[in-house]
Amino acid sequence: MLEVKNLVASYGKVQVLHDISLHVPEGKVVALIGSNGAGKTTTLRAISGMLIPESGSITLDGQSIGGLPSYEITRFGLAHSPEGRKVFPTQSVRDNLLLGAYPRLTGARERGDVEADIEHMYDLFPRLRERKDQLAGTLSGGEQQMLAMGRALMLRPRVLLLDEPSMGLAPRLVQEVFSIIARLKRDNITMLLVEQFAAAALEVADYGYVLENGRISVSGEAAMLKNDKAVRDAYLGGASSSH
Amino acid sequence: MSIFMQLIVSGISVGMIYGVIAFGYQLTFATSKTLNFGQGEALMIGALVGLTTINVLIGQSLGTFTAYFLMLPVVLAFGALQGTVVEWLGVRQAIKTKSEAGWIMATIALGIIFKNVAENVWGRDALKFPSPLPEASLSFWGIRIQPMEIAIVIGALGMMLAVEFFNRRTIQGKAVVATASDRDAAGLMGINTSRVITFSYALSSMTAAFAGVLVAPVTLTGATMGAVLGLKAFAVAIIGGLSSGLGVVVGGLILGITETMTGYYVSTGYKDVPGLVLLLLVLSLRPSGLFGKTTIKKV
Repeated sequence: MLEVKNLVASYGKVQVLHDISLHVPEGKVVALIGSNGAGKTTTLRAISGMLIPESGSITLDGQSIGGLPSYEITRFGLAHSPEGRKVFPTQSVRDNLLLGAYPRLTGARERGDVEADIEHMYDLFPRLRERKDQLAGTLSGGEQQMLAMGRALMLRPRVLLLDEPSMGLAPRLVQEVFSIIARLKRDNITMLLVEQFAAAALEVADYGYVLENGRISVSGEAAMLKNDKAVRDAYLGGASSSH
Repeated sequence: MSIFMQLIVSGISVGMIYGVIAFGYQLTFATSKTLNFGQGEALMIGALVGLTTINVLIGQSLGTFTAYFLMLPVVLAFGALQGTVVEWLGVRQAIKTKSEAGWIMATIALGIIFKNVAENVWGRDALKFPSPLPEASLSFWGIRIQPMEIAIVIGALGMMLAVEFFNRRTIQGKAVVATASDRDAAGLMGINTSRVITFSYALSSMTAAFAGVLVAPVTLTGATMGAVLGLKAFAVAIIGGLSSGLGVVVGGLILGITETMTGYYVSTGYKDVPGLVLLLLVLSLRPSGLFGKTTIKKV
């Protein structure tokens, strides 16, 4: 469904991604793991148009989206919950969710029942219902993460890119985030997940890619990667990888 | 005491004009971090287009009051168009190339061009603008006030409230606010942020043109009317803070009232000084403005 081939991207003159190819099949969760600075966030940014790639192709449902600005890419049904959450701090929780449905509300995508979807987000993230009229800037880090995910889901995306949803959260909240990802997976939402908690990410994912210095070093089924010795030593903190 | 009150009342309507122009500066600054330094000229050319329109309508034997209201949509549409042109010609390229100062020179240059065009089309003399309301002052407890001064306060507040309502209640307005807080994230929502920036320039010049036809009946209309108003409104935007709607209203009132006070108690020759002193004080003591917000980011 989401197909990235030979992606090359740079920040200025520094090439950050070298020849990245990956595939996210419909209804599956794909984890992208690797150490800090390996290019995980850059890969997501290049896919969603926040960064214009230098070369390579990106297709969603067979349609080319590579090189388009991000506002046009959302029309193809690609949602991106970015690094650092980037909620709109001066607007209410409810307004943030509505903005996630902007292409639906303005005719760029099929409208559907936006109000029902907001209710659905409140069911998925009950904290957001309690705080729906509060400004997003006053939420805790964990709540902002829930909001960023809910806002991305409001697009009714064909594919959802999640960048480090657990970053900076207390362990209890990290678990909550992963249980929500597992629930979204049961709802058949296609996801490309970037995570620092490689073990937990491979637990929920179907497939995994390991990124090293801007290149894919290993890839395969998540269950296989979990048992790969090199992957375990480098990213899963040795033998014990249960979460 | 009644002279003191009179000075305050007179200062209020002047201050509201400064406030509404300053509000226009805020609109573009919020979404693009750029300003239209030709804002005063947007006001001036809006007022002159309004003058020609209202004279044509009066020539059709319409009453001044009716003609004024029919003229408003023409002026608002013209202002929006003028702002769009400024954004296209002066700002868009500078934003695209991340130029730090390109837009400053470009918007100043466009302002000068608009002023020259106005001088050639409408001449260099100040022209009388027909007043839609009676020009005789009303008297309340000894304080004299022109009906048009009341209209200025209502019109200016109405314009700002209308924009505020649009921003809070409509999805397009919410998209403008989102673009102002985080352009990258707004893009991820499917918002065409460069179109939002064009729109805020259109809205900003529309506000200025509206301020022009509000103030024109109590002053005179002419190619040079914009420069001083634009500069003083800029001072108000700095005093009140470039991010606070309340700030420009309060800042405008402070400047308007200190001007009339200084004009009466000191000398009309010094009436521009206290506002500029205030500007310098604010810049040195509270650079984000009296009401400027310091953004809090949670990580």
